[in-house]
Amino acid sequence: MDVSSWDGTLSPHEFSIAARTLAHEWKRFNPAFPPWTWVPSQNRLGLASHNVCYLVDGYLTLEKLCIHGGPSEIHMPSQEEKVYEEIYTEKEELSDNATLVESNSCELHFYDFHIVYSAAYRVPVLYFRVYSIDGQPLVLDELKDLPACSEKLLLESKWTFITQEEHPHLNRPWYMLHPCGTSEWMKLLFSSDASLAKKGVVVELYLVSWLSVVGQVVGLTIPFELLNCLKSSLLSCCKQDAG
Amino acid sequence: MSSTESPSSVRKVVVHLRATGDAPILKQAKFKILGTDKFAKVIDFLRRQLHRETLFVYVNSAFSPNPDESVIDLYNNFGFDGKLVVNYACSMAWG
Repeated sequence: MDVSSWDGTLSPHEFSIAARTLAHEWKRFNPAFPPWTWVPSQNRLGLASHNVCYLVDGYLTLEKLCIHGGPSEIHMPSQEEKVYEEIYTEKEELSDNATLVESNSCELHFYDFHIVYSAAYRVPVLYFRVYSIDGQPLVLDELKDLPACSEKLLLESKWTFITQEEHPHLNRPWYMLHPCGTSEWMKLLFSSDASLAKKGVVVELYLVSWLSVVGQVVGLTIPFELLNCLKSSLLSCCKQDAG
Repeated sequence: MSSTESPSSVRKVVVHLRATGDAPILKQAKFKILGTDKFAKVIDFLRRQLHRETLFVYVNSAFSPNPDESVIDLYNNFGFDGKLVVNYACSMAWG
């Protein structure tokens, strides 16, 4: 199939192929990071069997990614605080050391990312949540570790960029990156490279390319080697098929 | 490493800016830029030239580089024919 007539979307089946490729390549080229893991979805109540063909049988997760608060977030105890700490420990022998340590350490934030297929838009959607080291969920306004461009966009387009929605598989409120424009920019991305004009290549590369855009919003980057190796192996497969 | 900088870090890269979608074409589409510069510099340049805040900027291989990447790294991975082709479109919408 020719990519020029392609509308930038994926079928549920194609999504699961793309998901497995991303998970596999990520583990290979990003071993220091938590892996992308395929989570089979549970059969949800109230779903008739005739709906199953529209559903994907799972979603991708990358969890407990630890992101240090930016340089401004690293909390160095000021002189006043040090004095206070000394007096405090002298007076209170039963002081809670754990609390003191935590207040002086730099703030750690943990991110959970899920890539969920949207049957309505036929594209992947990024869901995420953020919590501090004690498990306390963080609201978007409190986050200082999002890239600057995302923070700006959040202020400008409050309702069309990231909002809190119900996670389709977990039925809990998660942050979601709006998918309306996804198929348009995915189409543009793939139109830039004539060598990728085969539909099979597009499907396998889809989530990697998609993550190169979406990852920028939350500060996830993809190693170049991952993309280059995947692309060349896909293209050599194509040549073999043709030959 | 020696005291002099390695050749790749001081090297200049030719960037070819290519309009896609509804984006206007620039009068001058080819530029030389220091390899050590960040990709953000290319994006900022396009923003100023096109008077647009939201742009969709990507290279070949269906990849949109992070603004923090250095131009020389991008050139080494995606460069072709002595230049780095950077595509841009004005339509970049999330929701």
